[in-house]
Amino acid sequence: MDIFLQQLANGLTIGSMFALVALGYTMVYGVMKLINFAHGDMVAASAFVGLTIYTQVMGQATSLIAVVVIFLLTAAVMACIGIILERVAYRPLREAPRLSAVVSALGASLIIQNGIMLIWGPRMKIFPELVPQVYWDIGGVVISLIQVLILVLSLILMVSLYLFVEKTRIGAAIRASSIDQDAAKLMGVNVNRIIALIFIIGSSLGAIGGLFIGLYYRGITFNMGWQYGLYAFIAAILGGIGNIPGAMLGGMLLGLFNAFIAGYVSSTWADAFTFILLIVILIVRPTGLLGERVAEKV
Amino acid sequence: MHKGFKLMVALLAVCLVAVPAMAETLKVGVQAPITGSYANEGQGIENGVRLLAEQVNAAGGVLGSQIEVIACDDQGTAMAAAICAKDLVNKGVKMVIGSYTSTCAEAAQKTYFDAGVLQTSDGTADALTEKGYWTFLRNSFPNSAEAEFVANYMVNVKGYKRIVVLSDFSTYADGLGNAAEAAIKKLGGNVVARDKIKADSQNFTPVLTNIKSKKPDAIFFAGYYSDGGQLRAQQMALGIKADFIGGDANDNPDFVKLAGSAATGAFIVNVPSPDVLPYDIAKTFIADYQKKYGEMPPSIWGLMNIDGMRAIIHAMEQTKSFDTKKAADYLHNMAEPLDGITGPIAFAKDGNRKGGAYVVKKVQANGEYSHEYVQ
Repeated sequence: MDIFLQQLANGLTIGSMFALVALGYTMVYGVMKLINFAHGDMVAASAFVGLTIYTQVMGQATSLIAVVVIFLLTAAVMACIGIILERVAYRPLREAPRLSAVVSALGASLIIQNGIMLIWGPRMKIFPELVPQVYWDIGGVVISLIQVLILVLSLILMVSLYLFVEKTRIGAAIRASSIDQDAAKLMGVNVNRIIALIFIIGSSLGAIGGLFIGLYYRGITFNMGWQYGLYAFIAAILGGIGNIPGAMLGGMLLGLFNAFIAGYVSSTWADAFTFILLIVILIVRPTGLLGERVAEKV
Repeated sequence: MHKGFKLMVALLAVCLVAVPAMAETLKVGVQAPITGSYANEGQGIENGVRLLAEQVNAAGGVLGSQIEVIACDDQGTAMAAAICAKDLVNKGVKMVIGSYTSTCAEAAQKTYFDAGVLQTSDGTADALTEKGYWTFLRNSFPNSAEAEFVANYMVNVKGYKRIVVLSDFSTYADGLGNAAEAAIKKLGGNVVARDKIKADSQNFTPVLTNIKSKKPDAIFFAGYYSDGGQLRAQQMALGIKADFIGGDANDNPDFVKLAGSAATGAFIVNVPSPDVLPYDIAKTFIADYQKKYGEMPPSIWGLMNIDGMRAIIHAMEQTKSFDTKKAADYLHNMAEPLDGITGPIAFAKDGNRKGGAYVVKKVQANGEYSHEYVQ
């Protein structure tokens, strides 16, 4: 039983990181019907930006306030890069065929990845131990402070995002833009602004995900965005791409599934089973777990 | 630009290209992970080869020919390694130094064999010398030698009762893991689990949780430092109170940085590190290396490759020929070993380096190593 609970804790930690990253994919898809392949590399970039802020701006301070400042500054920097990305890579192609935008996204992904390599070098960089190594042993299940932090912070962020989208006027404008951009424009919604906002939210959540990866695993490489991007993308599809609670659910399920397969079947097969799960879900529910069947506009 | 000037530039360019070609250079290829996860090691190999080439050229070259170094980045991946092999062969190299990983060395082996190009690599996977390619010369000691040392240390010296063997899926790590498992069992040791992790996947807690339930007293990890450091950190985070013993590829400063405070008490098995090599030739070469690049060689692996290159050059000078077959025959039948940076070099008929010397190091609280056990 303690093994089961331990795998549960492992799965929830990694799952909440997947979920944070998946939100960026799903929100952009919801409004723009575009898969932002550069998102994974934005996540990787944010870990490097956070590291630089720690060493250059904060002077390697390790207090709680310093950590909060690193999170806020990194999220702000990544939000700016997100807006630039949308302006340069996606806005000029908004009326173009969808395939052009996908190719542009893949190009942006390569540019960001190679940009990280050129700025920070090809070697693995080591993140500092900003969160003290504190562990609690609860009946054989060991939980660390950083795991609790990641889980709680992710949940708070996700619930606030959900409330923001469901309960506020701007949230209503986001939902309207995702249903029909032209109709939203006629109702007085500034769609360009909404899209910029989507990139700000998606990139900052991704930035926090990237910092979590750095803090939890400590080693960051320029090409790690691809792996996390792929998992988050699967999580978004699993939950129903375009659906915000779906991305959260998808991320958590993927994390748990991965942990249990690796724990009970074999770590050798964890990835293969992940893709089998994806295929099965797409066959049984092509729109994902929480995705709604939407009639194609003719 | 005037036409005449253009013509002159063109002529000058032809001269520049043609002059060294007439002097008949000895082309030496470097196949190494110059970028990617093992960039640190790959750059060490390239730097070392360029330094040795410079020194040999300054002393008059090999049989009167200057060495020309051609480097190719295999990124630590088999796919890029296969492309590098074709590229280097097309450029007419006589020998190739590298690569760092067994996977990359293996992916390139057949191409070099078909072209009769000598290849010397520090790859330790036993599979590398099992194919019968006369072109392959291993400049490190094979996994089986390390596995026997590890098994003896764990079973007889330390007396562990419940041992877990962990590796990744690469040619080197899987080979070392399997060899260690077999060697431990042969000595009557109890292997309670043999599991594998996916390199670079970062999240090892599911596998470690499984291992925890087996209540091990020691974990032997055959794999690379980039995973080993994280594995050690996650092992301690899960409260698995087993000794961690890392194979040779964990011997890198980044292991300690990655594991952070959890690194303390971890054991690492390796051949001796560059700074403790007792040979004069080692001290001179390392001093030259530091003078040229402003840093220590990243590890002993780059130096092993340099020894491989020195052995081939030595063979060409002894046989007074650039014929690679003659050089290989000479190396396979050397009566006296050649003095090397990493100890005496001699090759067995199958291309394995003879001998083997290992040490066990323990990570101290300040991140430094202490020598625990010397073979």
